[in-house]
Amino acid sequence: MNPGLLEGYVALSAIIFAVGAVGLLIRRSPLVVLMCIELMWNAANLTFIAYARQWGNMEGHILSFIVITVAAAEVAIGLAIIVLIFRRRSEVDVDEAAMLRG
Amino acid sequence: MESTTLVWIMLLPLLGSAIIGVGRKGLSRNAAGWLGSLVVAVSFVLTLQAMGQLPATGVPLRQSLFVWGQSLPFELHVGLMADALTLWWLLVVTGVGFLIHVYSIGYMADDKGFARFFAELNYFIFSMALLVLADNFVGLLVGWANVGFASFLLIGFWTEKAEARAAANKALLINIAGESAMVVALALMVREFGSLAYAEIFSQASGATPGIVTAISLLLLVGIVTKSAQLPLHTWLPDAMQGPTPVSALIHAATMVTAGVYLVIRAFPLFSASPVAMQTVAVIGALSALFGAIVATRQFDIKRVLAYSTMSQLGYMLMGAGVGAYAASAFHFFTHAFFKALLFLGAGMISHHLSGEQDIRKMGGLGRQLPFVYWTFLAGVLAISGAPGFAGFFSKEEILAAALHEGHVGLWLIGVVTAGLTAYYMARLFILIFGGEASETESNHVHRGRGGVMGFPVAVLAVASTLSGLIAIPGITQVPGTYLAPVFARFGHEAVHVDSFGFPVILVLGMAAIGFIVGLKLFGPSGQGRARAQRSLQRRLGGPVANAFYLDDLYVWGAASIGRWAKVGALRVQSGFVRRYALTFFAGFAAFVFYFLLL
Repeated sequence: MNPGLLEGYVALSAIIFAVGAVGLLIRRSPLVVLMCIELMWNAANLTFIAYARQWGNMEGHILSFIVITVAAAEVAIGLAIIVLIFRRRSEVDVDEAAMLRG
Repeated sequence: MESTTLVWIMLLPLLGSAIIGVGRKGLSRNAAGWLGSLVVAVSFVLTLQAMGQLPATGVPLRQSLFVWGQSLPFELHVGLMADALTLWWLLVVTGVGFLIHVYSIGYMADDKGFARFFAELNYFIFSMALLVLADNFVGLLVGWANVGFASFLLIGFWTEKAEARAAANKALLINIAGESAMVVALALMVREFGSLAYAEIFSQASGATPGIVTAISLLLLVGIVTKSAQLPLHTWLPDAMQGPTPVSALIHAATMVTAGVYLVIRAFPLFSASPVAMQTVAVIGALSALFGAIVATRQFDIKRVLAYSTMSQLGYMLMGAGVGAYAASAFHFFTHAFFKALLFLGAGMISHHLSGEQDIRKMGGLGRQLPFVYWTFLAGVLAISGAPGFAGFFSKEEILAAALHEGHVGLWLIGVVTAGLTAYYMARLFILIFGGEASETESNHVHRGRGGVMGFPVAVLAVASTLSGLIAIPGITQVPGTYLAPVFARFGHEAVHVDSFGFPVILVLGMAAIGFIVGLKLFGPSGQGRARAQRSLQRRLGGPVANAFYLDDLYVWGAASIGRWAKVGALRVQSGFVRRYALTFFAGFAAFVFYFLLL
């Protein structure tokens, strides 16, 4: 893989990550927040894979699989929580979900 | 010398705990109780066997297990080690432990958590064995934390009692605070000695930087003070009496609370390399001895009297260790384990008889109803009061004589006053329970018929409390001193010992006799103290002594204030707005990136 291509991947990954991060901060719908987190996971995955190809070893691939597994678990729990909140109140806003505040 | 016996001494109780714990639904009560007792009995026999294997030269028995921490700058070879000191402690832990297991079969017979109780008791024996068998500070600390957790489980054994849960939490929190200080001590050891193994640290201790050795010793002392319930961190011990009485006897009197004394004696090369640390140990011990004895004079719960007296007796042990009389201190641990376990087990039989009553103001005239408890309890009272010939006499006098011999006149005086107070509060306890007329408290005859299983351990302990002092008659027998001498000789030390008590013993005996007689007179059938005590049943006791000098209230107030203050701060940070958390997170991340990449 030529160096320019690697830089391209890393730049793309940075952009995806930034989109996710900004989205997480400015959107209030929990579903969108979850999707933004997903974007950040995948930005990280992209970097792992890009560097793994660059250095020609498998560790990056393995790590990205672990990330995918953890992300799946996170989404499963996150969606379950959102569904439960939906049942208790009609509309969901992450700023309103502050019931566990001390 | 390699010896696999050591592994089995430790593992058998763990195995027992696992079998009883996992199979508690399927095991019958008898099976659980006797299996739990059996494994401890086998451990006891193995301890005796190990004592036989121990060479006369004093080279410890060893068993290496594994290498720990290979990524550290040093390797720690984790193993077990048994020298005379370890075996001395194990003898009591497994011996008294076995007796209390047997007693519990009768005492806990009606409890729905019977099997759980034995699983937890076995787990405690395992942890305590690990604590004394470890050949390095990591193993010691793991055992130390595990006995603390076993103590937590057993104090809160009756989980439906709110007081028991609170007491369990309190004990765990205070002990963990002590353990944190010990972790810091371990870190300093790594820095100074590059090792955590006893052998390496102790052989370098005398040549190390004095300041660091003092710091290590004082940090260890914080852990010791919490575990052995010494001033000012003793407040968990009286509350720990919420646990079942066999637990109070085994863990909070005979064995676990003596772990602090064990550590001072085990780490004597560190402590003796620092005069400041030694002085602190002795002073804390003496003050705790006095404090415990003073507070015990105004308690009315039979177990709380005994708890404060435990604190007081542990104070004697630390005072002995602090003046360098390690063998005398270990000897007092030995005799104290017998007579204090005896007193607690007797107290358990009394409150069983009275359907759980523990207030000594409501007792009286039990001498005729419970003649067996009367005589055995009397043996315990005489032993702890230091009546000549009884076990406590020889061990206590030896510590006091050693303190005087080393020129600590102040400490000796405190010890003498404490001896007088001890005799006083024990006489008061005894006569309030057994003297006078029978009170109106309904006695409970349901428990008849378990006399054997509960009586046997009490009888054995009564004999031990009476006779075990004879192993160290000054000038005639010196079993503890001679047996433990190789432990100290290995690092070029010799424990302070005395060949005769000399004339000051008359003063101590005089004080004890005065205290005993005053206690008997004041709280006897027609004494003023007894009448006043019974009048005080209606109201909460005032005065600093009855309230243990308000130390506990001070801590509660302090903790509550800190908690309130922390809550205000925490509420400001923990606003509940998820997006603000995310922003904080990103800001922190950005700060890290800035620091590591750009600076």
